[in-house]
Amino acid sequence: MPATRTRDLRGHVAAIVPTAFVVVAFLLPLVGLLLLSLRPTDQMNNVLPGFTGAQYAEVFGTPYLWGSVVESLWLAVRVSVTCLVLAFPLAWYLARSTSGVGKSLVFVITLSPLLTSEVVRSFGWRVVMSGEGPVNVTLQALGLIDESLPLLRSPWTVFLAVVHVLLPFAVLALSASLGAIDDRLLQASADLGAGALRTFRSVVLPLATPGVVAATVIVFSLSMGVYVTPLLVGGANQSLAGLRIQTEAMVAFDQPRAAALSFVLLAVTLAVCGLIGLLGRFAERGRRA
Amino acid sequence: MTTPTTAPSAGTTTQGRVEIRGLSVGYGGAPVLELDELTIEAGEFLSVLGPSGCGKSTLLSVLAGFVTPTSGTVAIDGQDVTHVAPNRRETGLVFQSYALFPHMTVRRNLEYGLRTRRVPRDERAERVRDALRLVDLADYADRYPQQLSGGQQQRVAIARALVTRPRVLLLDEPLSNLDAKLRRQMRHELRELQREVGTTTVFVTHDQAEALALSDRVALLAHGDLEQLGTPEELYRTPRTRFAADFVGAANLLPVRDDADGGRSVLGRPVRLAADAGTVALRPEHVRVVEPGGDAAAATVLSVGFAGERYEYRLRTTDGTELLASPADGGRRFAEDESVGLTWSDDALLPLGAA
Repeated sequence: MPATRTRDLRGHVAAIVPTAFVVVAFLLPLVGLLLLSLRPTDQMNNVLPGFTGAQYAEVFGTPYLWGSVVESLWLAVRVSVTCLVLAFPLAWYLARSTSGVGKSLVFVITLSPLLTSEVVRSFGWRVVMSGEGPVNVTLQALGLIDESLPLLRSPWTVFLAVVHVLLPFAVLALSASLGAIDDRLLQASADLGAGALRTFRSVVLPLATPGVVAATVIVFSLSMGVYVTPLLVGGANQSLAGLRIQTEAMVAFDQPRAAALSFVLLAVTLAVCGLIGLLGRFAERGRRA
Repeated sequence: MTTPTTAPSAGTTTQGRVEIRGLSVGYGGAPVLELDELTIEAGEFLSVLGPSGCGKSTLLSVLAGFVTPTSGTVAIDGQDVTHVAPNRRETGLVFQSYALFPHMTVRRNLEYGLRTRRVPRDERAERVRDALRLVDLADYADRYPQQLSGGQQQRVAIARALVTRPRVLLLDEPLSNLDAKLRRQMRHELRELQREVGTTTVFVTHDQAEALALSDRVALLAHGDLEQLGTPEELYRTPRTRFAADFVGAANLLPVRDDADGGRSVLGRPVRLAADAGTVALRPEHVRVVEPGGDAAAATVLSVGFAGERYEYRLRTTDGTELLASPADGGRRFAEDESVGLTWSDDALLPLGAA
């Protein structure tokens, strides 16, 4: 039908501008980065013409470098799982509570962090966790510790701060999915004799799988590349890929090596996200079979 | 209001007797449903009929356990279930929207209620097969709900409820999402199915034709109160209130006048009534439209429509009363603006209470 085709065409045209923007703003720099990661360097880390895999060999041969990717991966896994577990009840409440006041309250409290910049929120953690900060003061006042704890250097503080920064994304992604579940399906489940646990496992979770996958992918990829929060909370000298890339690029001025490390990080992130997607599809289909 | 509490039971089952006593349901404000007494016999097919907002869906939610009444009790087979959670009630609810689990096949949907009851695998398979055969969907076990038509989904929903052998089957306007032809057909199928399994059934509907066609008894609700309870014939032939007369089958509500000679008349025609009443209901199908003159009430045709076997007239009498007529006897077709006469048999006048 010509009318439909015209409409389809218009749809294509409307998609061209944003697509072009993505290509220019994301893919082009990425290609540039890829080419850069394949350049050889001289003794002074100046970029030379030609192609080499030496930068990747260097990344995989230096524990200082590949170790940071492993540390980032481990942090991202912990953060993703924690965010999911914390986000589920929040998203459920946001999506399904009938109490307007309670809903607004939870909405503001969980999502307001998105309104302030990551720098401000992370700096807040710095203040709270510092040697003279409220946490140390309270612990000392309670007599639980004598000397103030070096909380800011603890990897746990970094972990907590990253969870806090990324939790709203998980809540948003999940609540869309949970809100779409028809109340009557839950009633039908109860009427058929299912308790809350079975309803959760057999009805809510499978129907929320797209949301769980989306939340996990978003939180995971953001925490793989997280930079500002660990920098402000734990300092620059941590084994995390984002920080190492920054050091290689801006302190050691080894641009090709920073680019190679970036690509290793990107590849690992994409691989895990693909795996999450596959697991999600498998979970949906597995429950269907 | 006194209500008959017994009714002929249709099936052979002896379980599923529901007793509702002193029920009051409200969501904070004024009660949305109040029922002094309503007993549903084991195996009975009871329709709960009423306009939207009359409390009929609330009644179903109370029976299924999703709404806890502010006062009163609900008992099934003598067991007080007022505060029993929905998943322990052993009711079988069929939703208006069917509420089939979209991520499960028809088979898995049916098995769901058997798994929760820990029915062993072999028995599960057998019961699912039997239930699907019962609703003529034996070949559809491995389809997903969205691959089925509305009528098929509806039958799956009924099978899913029945396969658990509920004590009471609760149907929430299950036919309203079907097209007119399918709805008529499903009406019969539903009735036959219920006869076959003999499960006590509560059928909520706003469609009086469905209620009359399907039920052993009909409970007519209005504004959260039980307006009248009786067999379909009783409701149709002896409505007790204006509302009942008007809602169950259409009705012209006509005032009864005292004449100077001590007799009584309706629309100027002398009548003899079996009971004293200020108002009578006259069903459109009982109004005869004839040539003017004689003792017929004079009227003018406002509009006429063809309805297959009969014509449907909207008429205005000389005193300005408007009424509907759809005479059963063919007769000739009177045109718009034509003067006609109206007659009826006095037996067709249904005396209504003072309301």
